[in-house]
Amino acid sequence: MIFKLEDVTVYFPYDNIYPEQYSYMLELKRALDAKGHCLLEMPTGTGKTIALLSLITSYVLSKPENPVKLIYCTRTVHEMEKTLAELKLLHNYQTRHLGPAAKILAIGLSSRKNLCVNSRVLAAENRDSVDAACRKRTASWVRALAAENPNIETCEFFENYEKAASAAVLPPGVYTLQDLRAFGKQQGWCPYFLARHMVQFANVVVYSYQYLLDPKVAGIISKEMQKESVVVFDEAHNIDNVCIEALSVSVRRQTLEGATRNLSRINQEIERFKATDAGRLRAEYNRLVEGLALRGNLPNAWLSNPALPSDILKEAVPGNIRRAEHFLHVLRRLVQYLRGRLETENVEKEGPVSFVASITAHAGIDQKTLRFCYERLHSLMLTLEITDTDEFLHIQTICDFATLVGTYTRGFSIIIEPFDERMPHIPDPVLQLSCHDASLAVKPVFDRFQSVVITSGTLSPIDLYPRLLNFHPVVSRSFKMSLTRDCICPMVLTRGSDQLPVSTKFDMRSDPGVARNYGKLLVEMVSIVPDGIVCFFVSYSYMDEIIATWNDSGILKEIMQHKLVFIETQDVVETTLALDNYRKACDCGRGAVFFSVARGKVAEGIDFDRHYGRLVIMFGVPFQYTLSKILLARLEYLRDTFQIKEGDFLTFDALRQAAQCVGRVIRSKADYGMMIFADKRYSRHDKRSKLPGWILSHLRDAHLNLSTDMALHIAREFLRKMAQPYDKAGSIGRKTLLSQADLEKMTNDGSINEMLY
Amino acid sequence: MKNSERSRLNGEAEEEDDEEENLNGGLEAWERSYADDRSWEALQEDESGFLRPIDNSAIYHAQYRRRLRGRSLTAATARIQKGLIRYLYIVIDLSRAAAEMDFRPSRMAVVAKQVEAFVREFFYQNPLSQIGLVTVKDGVANCLTDLGGSPESHIKALMGKLGCSGDSSIQNALDLVHGLLNQIPSYGHREVLILYSALSTCDPGDIMETIQKCKESKIRCSVIGLSAEMFICKHLCQETGGTYSVALDESHSKELILEHAPPPPAIAEFAIASLIKMGFPQRAGEGSISICSCHKEVKVGVGYTCPRCKARVCELPTECRICGLQLVSSPHLARSYHHLFPIAPFDEATPSRLNDLHNISRSTCFGCQQSLLASDLGLLSLILIFTPKIFPFDGEPEARLAANILQSLLGCEHEGCILTPVGLIMTPAIVGKYIDAAAAAAAPVYQMKSPLMMRRKSFIKYILAADPVLLYVRIFLCYFQV
Repeated sequence: MIFKLEDVTVYFPYDNIYPEQYSYMLELKRALDAKGHCLLEMPTGTGKTIALLSLITSYVLSKPENPVKLIYCTRTVHEMEKTLAELKLLHNYQTRHLGPAAKILAIGLSSRKNLCVNSRVLAAENRDSVDAACRKRTASWVRALAAENPNIETCEFFENYEKAASAAVLPPGVYTLQDLRAFGKQQGWCPYFLARHMVQFANVVVYSYQYLLDPKVAGIISKEMQKESVVVFDEAHNIDNVCIEALSVSVRRQTLEGATRNLSRINQEIERFKATDAGRLRAEYNRLVEGLALRGNLPNAWLSNPALPSDILKEAVPGNIRRAEHFLHVLRRLVQYLRGRLETENVEKEGPVSFVASITAHAGIDQKTLRFCYERLHSLMLTLEITDTDEFLHIQTICDFATLVGTYTRGFSIIIEPFDERMPHIPDPVLQLSCHDASLAVKPVFDRFQSVVITSGTLSPIDLYPRLLNFHPVVSRSFKMSLTRDCICPMVLTRGSDQLPVSTKFDMRSDPGVARNYGKLLVEMVSIVPDGIVCFFVSYSYMDEIIATWNDSGILKEIMQHKLVFIETQDVVETTLALDNYRKACDCGRGAVFFSVARGKVAEGIDFDRHYGRLVIMFGVPFQYTLSKILLARLEYLRDTFQIKEGDFLTFDALRQAAQCVGRVIRSKADYGMMIFADKRYSRHDKRSKLPGWILSHLRDAHLNLSTDMALHIAREFLRKMAQPYDKAGSIGRKTLLSQADLEKMTNDGSINEMLY
Repeated sequence: MKNSERSRLNGEAEEEDDEEENLNGGLEAWERSYADDRSWEALQEDESGFLRPIDNSAIYHAQYRRRLRGRSLTAATARIQKGLIRYLYIVIDLSRAAAEMDFRPSRMAVVAKQVEAFVREFFYQNPLSQIGLVTVKDGVANCLTDLGGSPESHIKALMGKLGCSGDSSIQNALDLVHGLLNQIPSYGHREVLILYSALSTCDPGDIMETIQKCKESKIRCSVIGLSAEMFICKHLCQETGGTYSVALDESHSKELILEHAPPPPAIAEFAIASLIKMGFPQRAGEGSISICSCHKEVKVGVGYTCPRCKARVCELPTECRICGLQLVSSPHLARSYHHLFPIAPFDEATPSRLNDLHNISRSTCFGCQQSLLASDLGLLSLILIFTPKIFPFDGEPEARLAANILQSLLGCEHEGCILTPVGLIMTPAIVGKYIDAAAAAAAPVYQMKSPLMMRRKSFIKYILAADPVLLYVRIFLCYFQV
């Protein structure tokens, strides 16, 4: 359908549109007009992605005088492919109506592992080794050698791509990763390098968060993006954690040992070069004297600055690490120092300033030197023509650490823990540089681009995100889902079958009564809910404990009479296997229960839609481990810097996780599912109000303080009701699908605004 | 009458009914009708504990279903081929879940009662078809009765075997039914109706294979769930072309079961014409004594003689035990036939037109314009009312059917009596003729009241049932006094 949204003609590839999609587009359009950032919450299953894509592309089409580039960031490769597939559909629709004027170039960009077409490179098992295998064949010196010696293996795709040089361009269109691979195979060009090259010219780029947020990668990939871009972070409810992780480093004993090995290897290489080709090292030294700003003439562009403060580019590398041997000494001393710090018996916490001071005192390395470590290492590795970069991860981690410590004085802390708190007898010292300020990593994005859109199904409370990320949105709104029937049924269960309260609060969690009540709840539920049930626990340890209790008291056996039980473990392979079998059990009608952990892999990335999840039970409130030193340090920082109370942040974080968990169960409007929040604390207003609006609007007052038997009754009724055939378009009273005619009518008589607000 | 007789014959399940009857014994008739409805359960409370208007969603669903049916009806005018000779297995789940008490007194008892009603209705509508019963218990499927055309034997077998335990297995049931249905001749339509209480199925192998097997054998599988929607059931029905529904409560489940009584459209690949050999046996003379081949007992009077081997059978339709000939009577054929050639759709009368009708009816019959004043009973007009209580399918088809019968039976020449939502207006003369005809057809008259009593009430009901040569029909007559 084609309709007017204020002054923009929107091309929407479907015949009907949901009201919330319309209002979503309207808000987004206003944000684009204002050239500001925005924060939009809309439940999953309402077609967020297509609304976003069609509005932004239509916006560009309507205003050809200022071409806006769309940078769409997703969390996973799967989401990337889905987004591109929708874009393709949209693009076809637009070209059908507008002809060649609507032509755009849209590409997805991912790591070599996902884009490589060279079968020998792909044989490597993980991402780092694929990268290394690729470099081994495509590095400039390797190719130079290969020109003389035909026995050295190169990649024919890359060679062809290089030969085609400027002729190697993608014709306009929408390319998913698969399309890119197919195109690369057909033309004989390397799709990875082609895509990386085309990113500058593409109208739409879809890639992972890291390409924008991780300063090490962002510098390479996203450097050339113009200011007039719209950056979209999809599924961005955890964006603050992604930002923090991008800037956090942890160093263990193994890291230091590996780093030592790396250093001796580098030392050997240096010796070898001294003997054979001393000129190279000399040339590097000269280059460094001239300063990093002239780094452009390095033989290869695959590594560059970690998006550090811009002054670093203007400064020259300090004299004491310009020579390769000297730099090596500095690194040795640093590793030695860190090893010394790890020997500690107590937990230590320090700010970066005092840590740097202590390094200066004990190892004689000053702040400026530290700051250049990362840069200097990569320069050195290029000079030494090291291609198997995956072997050198340890020393890279150390340099990373050094650079971060040397650069930032605020928002970080260094925490040294001699052992894991849960296992105090096993020494496992770890030194963590943890970032507390999510705004640090995301700041360059907000500063650089015209509009940044942060969107997800769960962004409640919506006013906290601007504070955490330190930006000012021009629009922040939460949309509800318009439904033809009440297909979600959230309930708060506060009491067990014996009317005693249930909770995972610290003082109650070891109470056998609570475990028994939780068990009873599950036993009853498995007998009335068909197909799949998903249970989320607050932590692995709690899950282990409660499952052991259930096993002893025979509850587990009772559950098994009705459904099979699968458990998520920390092992990815095991969990994947469990999930596969869980799905199989749901498919064949046996029915299954999946025990999972909030904040685990399953809670974040796996959908339990349709019959895979008719019910999700959240046992307890998934607070973070509040005794964790890192969390405490972050809370302190948040309180001091952003005036966010500890309690508020913890509750926000816990409820966001809980909403994420229960949100897994419903992925489209035709779907239905129940959600049980089994903890008495959920009935408190301060907790409940932090749930997203689309859950709250279905949480009736009568469902706020249930006991097991009442919940059972409601569940029975709900399941029966949902199994009835229903009218998808919705009856007259609740219009949930708008056709073009509806929209026009509503715009004319002004009732569209009524509907929206 | 018949019902109570049977209940005395049968065991445990009926005892509960008896208790209920005793309970209800002290109530007036009108009270009893409400007691059966259990109307208090329809009341609902809102969040703040106030009574809220009765939920219309059930009614809405009923309307929605009827609309769907109406649509299929219009399709019926386009002559959809339907399977008239159906071989249906009813699979009754008697696993642990069937003992649940959410339907009173238990799911099992409710299902049994409804299966009984269904079996009767099924044979009314499909006299040429056969039913078999299968139960699933402890994960094992048992064949309770073989395919047969006698409602009584099925019902008797089922009532004797009520009792539940263990898990349920769709695969085992399907495997068993598949084996049984594979033997039937190719002109028969193979169907399975599963009444499923459980929410899981414990299968020995891959159920997907079994579903494919059923699909290949063209067995149409339908499922009625009693508690919630299950993916595998939905999948099964989608694959094999059946319907899947979930019951909201007892009455809804009954409605759902009875929906399976009219024959479904035939599967396309199956719709090849074939000739079937059938015998039309003669009814034995009143006083004749013979040994029937089905019960191996000496019987006086009742029975039919197979035209080929002269064996005696007790009831029709059946298959001759001796020579295997299909034995039917012509009304059976005719009764099945009307599924194929349904009555043409009627125009719905608008309320305003209805008022006109009432005005007109003061003087003349709307159909033949004969004067209505010449009435020997002192009644002016007659209205036929079709209510859901009398017609289990409160739809138009039956009403139309009745109208057509009256026309053909009574020789009224006028173009289609107008059927309004209230009824059919005719001259008393015609009615008188009809009553004669009904009497001639030796139809049992269930209830008859004197004309005096009729005058006392504005609506007096005559319940007549007729089994004319052409079709079977039950009509609710109502005299309207002016």
